[in-house]
Amino acid sequence: MRILIVGAGAVGFSLAEHLSEEGHDIVLVDQDPERAARAQDQLDIMTVTGNGASISVLEKAGIEDVDLLAAVTSVDEVNLIACMSAAQYDIPIKIARISNPDYFSEAGRLKSAQQGVDLMINPELECAREAFQLLQSEASTELAFFAGGRVQLMGLRVQPDAPIVGQSLQEVATRVEDRRFLTAAVLRNGETIIPRGDYRFQAGDQIYIIGESTQMPLVLKLAGYPEFKLRRVMIGGGGRTAVYLAKILEEHNVDYTIIESDRARCVKLAELLKKALILHGNATDMELLEMEGVEEIEGFVVLTGSDDTNMLASLLAKSHGVPKVVALINRIDYIPLVSRVGIDAVVSPRISAVNSILRHARGGIVVGVAALRGIDAEVIEFNVQPASDIAGKTLAEIDFPDHSLVGAITRGDEVIVPSGQVKLANGDKVTVLALPDAVKAVEKLFQ
Amino acid sequence: MSARTALHIIGLIVAAVGAAMGFSAIVAFLYSGPDALPLLAAAAIAVVLGIAANKLTPRPKDLTIRESYLIVTLAWLSAAVFGALPYWFAGVASPLDAFFESISGFTTTGASIFPDPESLPRGILFWRDLSQWLGGMGIIVLVVAVLPFLGVGGMQLFRAEVPGPTPERLQPRIRQTASILWRVYVGLTAAQVILYLVGGMSLYDAVTHAFGTMPTGGFSTRTASIGAFTSPFIQYVTVVFMYLAGVNFALHYRALRGQPRSILEDEEWRFYTLLLLSALAIVLAANLVAGTHSSLEAAFRASAFQVVSIGTTTGFATADYVTWPAVSQVVLFFLMFVGGMAGSTGGGMKTMRMWAALKQGVVELRKHLHPRAVIVTRVGGKVVHEGVMLNILAFMLLFVASFIIGALLLTALGVDLVTAAGASAAAIANIGPGLAGVGPAENYSWMPAVGKIVLSLLMLLGRLEIYTVLVLFHPEFWRR
Repeated sequence: MRILIVGAGAVGFSLAEHLSEEGHDIVLVDQDPERAARAQDQLDIMTVTGNGASISVLEKAGIEDVDLLAAVTSVDEVNLIACMSAAQYDIPIKIARISNPDYFSEAGRLKSAQQGVDLMINPELECAREAFQLLQSEASTELAFFAGGRVQLMGLRVQPDAPIVGQSLQEVATRVEDRRFLTAAVLRNGETIIPRGDYRFQAGDQIYIIGESTQMPLVLKLAGYPEFKLRRVMIGGGGRTAVYLAKILEEHNVDYTIIESDRARCVKLAELLKKALILHGNATDMELLEMEGVEEIEGFVVLTGSDDTNMLASLLAKSHGVPKVVALINRIDYIPLVSRVGIDAVVSPRISAVNSILRHARGGIVVGVAALRGIDAEVIEFNVQPASDIAGKTLAEIDFPDHSLVGAITRGDEVIVPSGQVKLANGDKVTVLALPDAVKAVEKLFQ
Repeated sequence: MSARTALHIIGLIVAAVGAAMGFSAIVAFLYSGPDALPLLAAAAIAVVLGIAANKLTPRPKDLTIRESYLIVTLAWLSAAVFGALPYWFAGVASPLDAFFESISGFTTTGASIFPDPESLPRGILFWRDLSQWLGGMGIIVLVVAVLPFLGVGGMQLFRAEVPGPTPERLQPRIRQTASILWRVYVGLTAAQVILYLVGGMSLYDAVTHAFGTMPTGGFSTRTASIGAFTSPFIQYVTVVFMYLAGVNFALHYRALRGQPRSILEDEEWRFYTLLLLSALAIVLAANLVAGTHSSLEAAFRASAFQVVSIGTTTGFATADYVTWPAVSQVVLFFLMFVGGMAGSTGGGMKTMRMWAALKQGVVELRKHLHPRAVIVTRVGGKVVHEGVMLNILAFMLLFVASFIIGALLLTALGVDLVTAAGASAAAIANIGPGLAGVGPAENYSWMPAVGKIVLSLLMLLGRLEIYTVLVLFHPEFWRR
């Protein structure tokens, strides 16, 4: 597939990197020659310097032959105009990144159909939603949803006093009645494994569970976590993601405080958010955190523009005993460090954006994709199509690669826990976890 | 700043006042009263001088902000001066008393020097109420509504005259906005006249009392004010229209345009209504305990009438509240300062400012709990920025300071404390009747001459909302 990406910022660069590795041909457009040059040096792609919203620049980038356009600059208006300019060419999918909360107000939201855009992605909003989901329990380090929310993937750490410590996967499976989840992957000592029946749980294992969403409270109990009720949240940094998160918290009647270092932005936030308590200061200011009762809150989310600040603020909050700390981390090389230093979970608008666009780049059979952060694996949701070889076969008959695992099958409203005897039917949604070397082979199976 | 610019517009306003006096002369003539000639003479002087001033000066191209303040203040003073001529010519008042009565009318105060209005000829009484009606919506607003040439300068004049911190624009052009406000005003007045007629009032009584109600004025042609009409229906109609006159006219306009919910959703309206209801509850309870009324209905009617009359700064009376329990009088005294909603014809500080200041008070409490918090004050969902809030708080300070200075000057003239406080508050809030010696059953004729001048100034300060008049006293105003 030939893909044109407008904007070589954080999102555009990651997207180009990911898609290029997957074998797509990428043309990247950016106004800034330095950014364009850097992308060309580091990735196997072509770059064009110029305004990606202008038709002449798009033509120079070969817009006529493009299969997918992703306009992902940080300026919404540029992204929209890029898609509008491209409307005169026959491009199957045009994606625009739109993230200004002004366009998503209660009074009315911008709709993609009116703008000649096939899909609008809002990484900041997705990130805020993910942060809110992560705040729902003390344990989760990673969350992804499939089959319209019925199937959930959750990453969590096994507690030392958990009832399952020392037990094998098989023992746990027989002990739990009406089980509709399974352990899809384990990270132990920096190594990712797909567990078999004889695997034994150890305290400190980072485990990834796929299953019906309603079973997750049971999973949390088995992994040794007490019940958790979110009442008060502190948010460090008052950017767009923070505004979206604040609005979600307001909907769920959770009290929250936002700490923002820029005074003018504080005023803007106070005007925008009616129920908020906005504090002027740094998220790393211990004295301020203590004065505002950081010891009494359930969740702390740091969403400033600086990964370093976010890491530091998270550590400070954790040292004050905040049960759940979520940090925004954009640098992928920081992410393995996160769980090691004690930060509970990470969100990233960059990865959110890449995930949503990957889904579309993969075409019809793929319904959902989540690239996991803690381990090097992807969870992909496939649609079983009538023409494919696997429809009508049992799972045992299908030759899944070693580093992959079917996590859940959704048929209509029903979530089926996979076993060798389950026969795949036309229209089933199959959630598969795959390590990088297995992704291609799994995709081929569903083709 | 050119005096000729000012004269051009002031001339127009004086001529308009003259025309209104001419209309009153016709009324006097219809009742073949002795006052037709004095009214006609006053009208002729005003029209001739006004048109001369207007014709002999060039039409201003544009108004500076300073010219606007000067024009509005001088226009009001001139209207009061020319409007005083009929009382003087008819021989019913001395020149100073005539001026006091006239400015009390135009500023919709309703404080009178006439102990017995019923003894006055009908043309004079009609003019008294007509001057209130003109002053209620604003003589400048009227001129802006009629004259097309004022354009941008009109906006400045409009802002200097219309009550409330930030006047609303209902239509893109200021002329359209001014004309909408006047049409709503005329419509409500007509509705009240019709209801009065239904209640059995004569046309003359109905028109003069509607002219006293809609601008929240309070001049009555009867010595016993509305109390002269014993019909509960007429008294309740008056209560309702006094209440409506205290509501923001922009809300009336929206309601008439088919959005009645915009009234219910208005935060200031809720505060205004709740405040009046709470005041009514206290006054009614106190009056019932003290047993000042024969029946529950009579107590309710009298309490509601006085609370709404004082709360909207109208100043009509059906009972002498000076004889009521002290609690009731304190509540009424407090209501004097609050006044009607911003954008209404009511005087006082306006509920908008009171509500905004209360909210700011709560915000300050929160700031003490969270010293580093950044909190904005919202009124009606809209953010009140720091500059506007300071303007509001400074206004309230200047308002109260003017009240205190007024009371101080009156007591220095030998007026007793309660009377002085009541008169000063009643003047600056444009109410009319005050407490004790200037209560609803009394009048201002006995005031020392200096006291009448002080009160006249307070009335103008209150009607033009302090700043418009006080800027003229700032040294920088006169600096080139």
